[in-house]
Amino acid sequence: MFEVNDLHAYYGKSHVVQGISLEVGRGEAVGLMGRNGVGKTTTLKSIAGLLTRTHGRILLEDADLSGMSPHVRARRGLGYVPEAQAVFPEMTVEENIRIGALIQSRANQAQCLDAAYDLFPILSERRRQLAGTLSGGQQKMLALARGLCLRPRLLLVDEPSEGLMPVNVELIAQALKKATQEGVGILVVDASFDLVRTACARMYAMDRGVLVGMYRPADFSSPEMLAATYLGDKDA
Amino acid sequence: MNQLVLQLLNGLVVGSSLALVASGLALLFGVLDIINFAQGEFFMMGAYVLWVVLGATGNYALGLIAATVVVAVGGGLLLLLITQPLLEKAHVLVLLATLGVSLIIQQLAQNVFGGDAKLLQPPIQDSIDIGPITYPLYDLVIIAVGLGLLTAGFFWLRYAKYGVWVRAVAQNRPMAAVLGVPVPRVYLLAFVISSGLAGIAGGMLAPVTSVFPNIGGPVILNSLIVVVAGGLGNFRGAAWIAILFGEVQAVGSMLMPPVVVELISFGLVIVLLVIRSRRKTVLVRL
Repeated sequence: MFEVNDLHAYYGKSHVVQGISLEVGRGEAVGLMGRNGVGKTTTLKSIAGLLTRTHGRILLEDADLSGMSPHVRARRGLGYVPEAQAVFPEMTVEENIRIGALIQSRANQAQCLDAAYDLFPILSERRRQLAGTLSGGQQKMLALARGLCLRPRLLLVDEPSEGLMPVNVELIAQALKKATQEGVGILVVDASFDLVRTACARMYAMDRGVLVGMYRPADFSSPEMLAATYLGDKDA
Repeated sequence: MNQLVLQLLNGLVVGSSLALVASGLALLFGVLDIINFAQGEFFMMGAYVLWVVLGATGNYALGLIAATVVVAVGGGLLLLLITQPLLEKAHVLVLLATLGVSLIIQQLAQNVFGGDAKLLQPPIQDSIDIGPITYPLYDLVIIAVGLGLLTAGFFWLRYAKYGVWVRAVAQNRPMAAVLGVPVPRVYLLAFVISSGLAGIAGGMLAPVTSVFPNIGGPVILNSLIVVVAGGLGNFRGAAWIAILFGEVQAVGSMLMPPVVVELISFGLVIVLLVIRSRRKTVLVRL
């Protein structure tokens, strides 16, 4: 359903992503793990179309998205929930959610708000509050709910559990699982091994700009065991 | 007392027109982080288009519509043309480019229409009694249209699809893009609306101020002051400060010479800037 072939990305002279190829099926959640600075966020930004210096093929249901601007990719079904600065701070929670829905029909817009509030009831309580005044965790929930509002075929999610209390991490993991049950493909970058293990059936490991292996998170009991395995694979 | 009411109304005429020009400038800064130095010349173009159409048809309403549409489309496309290649580069280049455009438009107006002031009769000659004073009806129409447009702009930014998208782009451009907001179209819309607001203001004020090539000079100066004081990129702030600015100048002129009023206005702006510098200002906000 979703395929990336030989993706490269650069920041200035720095060759950050060095030929990544990966696949995500319909209704499948796939993790992308690795240490800080190995290029995970850059990979997601490149797929979303936010970086200009990239090359490689990005196929979503056989349509080639590479070279398209970010808003066209979004309209083709590619959603992106970034790690930071994901909300419009001077807009209310409800306005933030509506933006994701405005490219859809009016009926879908109303459904979208209901679905977002069902997913995270706290957002309903704070619907009139400016998004910039929400806690970090609530902003994460808002960004994820809004990303799902787009009804994407594939959702890229960057560090959704960062800075969240365990109870909220569980909420996020459940939201991702629910989305996959509705047929959304998800590529998630997260440092939380628990979240990846709960939400994803398989995951890619990344190190220094390249993928170093594909694993089943369920096969590992701890993130250290996983890291030892994939770093060992690469060294081998 | 009569004099005070009269000056308050005069202040509203100047302030509401200035608010149109300045809020256009603020909108553009909010969305694209650029300052359009040609905004004063767009105001002047609006006045000339009205003068030309009025001369040809004798129809003021048609002239005002033409002033708005011609400046909105012409100014919008011109801004698109000159800023598009420069947007990814240093912002100072866009600033210099719009400054260059303003000088070119001014010189063109001088060459085509001459340097003399064109006098226009207001389309409505009647006056009405407001309590103890008699006031030109046309000036009241300027106030009503100016305030009406600003109110419409407020609601458009708040509730209309493209209005919400304009605010979204102003606050977080990459995020807006990945949510499907057509950012290039929003840019073009900001160019067109910003130019159109200057065009309609120029057309409306033409019978009051007369029309000449340098008419945009004080307009851009005052607009820049208003936009900076209102919070760069803040549509509502620019509108309020413009009206306040018009009132201070009008009422102040009752008490002291115009030069002193100007100095006090600038002093007021400095005080506002100091107050604003103590808190983080925000982009297009409602």
